[in-house]
Amino acid sequence: MPIQIADIINMRAFELEDTRKAGSDTQLEFNILPNRGHDALSHVGMAREICAVEGRKFFPRFGLGNVPRPNLGFGLKVEIKDKNLCQRYIGAVIENIKINPSPKWLQQKLIACGIKPINNIVDITNYVMLETGQPLHAFDIKKTTGNIIVRKAKRGEKIKLLDEKIYELNENNLVIADSEKPIALAGVMGGSKSSVTEKTKTIILESANFNAKNIRKTRTALGLQTESSYRFEREIDPNLAEIGAARAIELLQEYGGKNAKIAAIADTYPKKLKPWTIKLNSEYVNNLLGEKIEILRMEKILERLGMKVKQSEKLLNCEIPTRRLDLVTEEDLIEEIGRIYGYENIREFAPKMELSVPLENAKRNFEHKIRDVMTALGFSEVYNYSFYGVKEIENFRLELKNHIEVANPMNPDQQYMRWSLMPNLVKAVRINLKNFEKFSLFEIGRKFFYEKNKIPQEKTILASALVNPSAKNNLFFKLKSKLEFLLDHLGYKNTKYEILNTKYLFWHSSRTARITLHGKELGYIGEIDPAVLKKYNISCRVAAFGLKIDELLTLPRAEKIYHPISKFPTVERDISMFVGEKVLYADIEKKIRNAGGKLVLGVELFDVFEKEGVKSLALRLKIGSSAKTLTSAEIEAVMKKIISTLEKELKVKVRK
Amino acid sequence: MLKQKIEGIKSESLEKIKKSASERELYDIKVKYLGRNGSLTKILKNLKNLSPEKRRVAGPVANQVRRDIKEACQNKKKELAEQVDWEKEKIDVTLPGRKTETGHLHPITLVQRDIEKIFTSMGFKIADGPEIESDWYNFTALNFPQDHPARDMQDTFWVKNNKEKFVLRTHTSPVQVRFMKENKPPLKVIIPGRVFRNEATDATHEHTLHQFEALVVGDDVSVGHFKYIVQEFFTQFFSKETKIRLRPCYFPFTEPSFEFDINCTVCNGKGCPSCKGGGWLEIGGAGMVSQNVFAVAGYPKNKYQGFAWGFGLERLAMMKYKINDIRLFHGGDLRFIQQF
Repeated sequence: MPIQIADIINMRAFELEDTRKAGSDTQLEFNILPNRGHDALSHVGMAREICAVEGRKFFPRFGLGNVPRPNLGFGLKVEIKDKNLCQRYIGAVIENIKINPSPKWLQQKLIACGIKPINNIVDITNYVMLETGQPLHAFDIKKTTGNIIVRKAKRGEKIKLLDEKIYELNENNLVIADSEKPIALAGVMGGSKSSVTEKTKTIILESANFNAKNIRKTRTALGLQTESSYRFEREIDPNLAEIGAARAIELLQEYGGKNAKIAAIADTYPKKLKPWTIKLNSEYVNNLLGEKIEILRMEKILERLGMKVKQSEKLLNCEIPTRRLDLVTEEDLIEEIGRIYGYENIREFAPKMELSVPLENAKRNFEHKIRDVMTALGFSEVYNYSFYGVKEIENFRLELKNHIEVANPMNPDQQYMRWSLMPNLVKAVRINLKNFEKFSLFEIGRKFFYEKNKIPQEKTILASALVNPSAKNNLFFKLKSKLEFLLDHLGYKNTKYEILNTKYLFWHSSRTARITLHGKELGYIGEIDPAVLKKYNISCRVAAFGLKIDELLTLPRAEKIYHPISKFPTVERDISMFVGEKVLYADIEKKIRNAGGKLVLGVELFDVFEKEGVKSLALRLKIGSSAKTLTSAEIEAVMKKIISTLEKELKVKVRK
Repeated sequence: MLKQKIEGIKSESLEKIKKSASERELYDIKVKYLGRNGSLTKILKNLKNLSPEKRRVAGPVANQVRRDIKEACQNKKKELAEQVDWEKEKIDVTLPGRKTETGHLHPITLVQRDIEKIFTSMGFKIADGPEIESDWYNFTALNFPQDHPARDMQDTFWVKNNKEKFVLRTHTSPVQVRFMKENKPPLKVIIPGRVFRNEATDATHEHTLHQFEALVVGDDVSVGHFKYIVQEFFTQFFSKETKIRLRPCYFPFTEPSFEFDINCTVCNGKGCPSCKGGGWLEIGGAGMVSQNVFAVAGYPKNKYQGFAWGFGLERLAMMKYKINDIRLFHGGDLRFIQQF
């Protein structure tokens, strides 16, 4: 039986969290959805729900009725200063109280629900809260001036609460006070001084309704969550205050002492909450659910949930009980019908949709292509975190002020949004050096930064790192060849590599190049400064590059166009030369192509060596014409021109 | 008679030459027919003893056969000389292939691709949005009231910024609003992406996650359609018939809202440790798009109906590849990545 109830509640209302044996009973724990805190955070609420999902009528075992209002000699003075923060306050003075332990059955129920029994008075307030959902409180009237004022706290006002801690309050906090002092933090916890003790003879029982937002603000600010604040911050029906008070008074008269009786009662309720009506179109119900539910069935479901339903043709006029504060729109009622009807009973069917080929996401396709090329080139993909700490900013010589800061990080290592993907990639390198000697990694992810207007910006970056001790001095070139392949494969021709030669961030000052294309900076490729690596205990060299994917996407990609295969022969000619230290290969190639013009079909470097400080390069040129077969005289002429240009303009020494 | 004998020698010798397997064998054959005492040589030598008529018939035939045999021997010799020495060529084909440097894609990428492929084949677009999102898009536009306890459900990283409130997006749902502002129904779109939750990490919890979201809006999109598409998707994704079930849930931006489960992929719903015996696995949240969200997107109220649903890619990858610790995804360890 409990298991069946658990299953049906699980499918129709709330998720089952736990099932426990408690003696001969089974205790079920459900996760009450945040929008049902109004009505379901109580045993009565759950009983009502179970009846509704099982299609039964709900008969409460005790009166959910009104507070008895005997004709009394004197009143209790209750004053609500801020009617927005306290919609209703019922105060009942009960005298001839005798403090005792509460009956066994009551204690056991509290223990089962995780509440420690204290004495009959406190236990009854807690028990009624669990039963009805209305939080209650009892003050010892002797420790007050005998009246109730609901007001905002004064700035700096202090109160010692039942947890024996002193809290400093401000005007955001609502308190229950008497003429002199605050006696409780409204809806959260009672004051220590006014609490019920063994000597208590007369109490003021409080059953009130407090503003949800205000309670939430107070309990977050003070870090205090109680059973009471939990319910109030989910917003409770002010009409529940009466039900709670009535039930508590009933129990107090029975267990609070032989002669316990009401001496005075006050109910301040300036703006009564009345039931409201929702007009529900039964056709809309079936349209949204995609099901054919008969209108009579809808009516039955809604009635079992406590609504008064009047049908007029296709419309259902539903009067909503005030406890269901969550029911406001037609869709809210459609959900009620849907879940009680059972979502498993809704048949699935294919939507009618026009046939169209969706527009592709160009950036996504581009990223996937990069991923494919990178893995084909031997790189493995990692996903790193989007944040790092101030330590990384310092170690990688980044600017703190460029970083977007997380206000509530998990720990200092995650305080800043990454401005560069490199720090976390280098950390991934460190992790893998434990198991691998040679490897390459890449990541496609976002970097974050501020524009001038302080609006956070993000850009997608491809970052990559290569470790290969056997490459020695060629590590940079190993990585560069992969980058060149990648860019070429993506359709980018004529990428330029500008020598950096200055200290820039974490890059190696003399082994780093800025990558540009059509004058736009695409990123950097180089070795990571060994001094930076040292901070991560990495002793081997690491080459890396970063590419701005968004920039790349804006640049034109070469279309593949067929060039007719030349009918005329090409010849290969080698040039070896000694070059000065400062001469760049890029300049040599440029001079060769300028001097040789259209006849230079290709330039390829095939050997580099350095001996005693002299650098020697060997290049192989492809010479030919698309218009005719070159004579050897013509070939010699162009070679001569190339060599003399190189010698004159770059001061290289061509080996003859 | 003699002519027949010569023809016999011809066919016999050519056959033997053809079948010979070595130069030595070929030599022996040649000697047998054309050697000093070879059978053809004997006939040739004996020609002079024949009558002129017989000689005239046999002579040219015998000489032609001699040339044929010689030529066949030569050809065969050449053929044998060009033959490969298969013994010397022998390799151990069971040795492993020479290592190629290969990279591996991250399992989240693989799962995301699978999802994107299934949905684009159903006609869905793919949309993206920022990972640092304004409080407005992340919460307000999605009908989260200020100070509502529902914001407790989203343990959020906030950005330190005194100009405006920004968060590390807690879900991909803000992109719903961004997309709807730019596009009119009918629409079908998926939104995969990185999201953040401010919670401590352990084997089943991560603060950095990847989510996926689908949104369908039209004139008559219903819960029935939603059930159909979810079932279709999971059946494709796991390549087997997958059942789904909906349970009531609460999200501020959908009404009705559901939590959806699929029947356990390990035990097919019979009950096993993976599904804690229940036969169902909790996968994600969904619901019918709230009219308030449509209003924020600029759609007229009560004109359109739609559903939205989302779930975590990590969870799906963990199910698909039987990964038992969520921290592995962001651990950067190649021993993990290289398994995919």
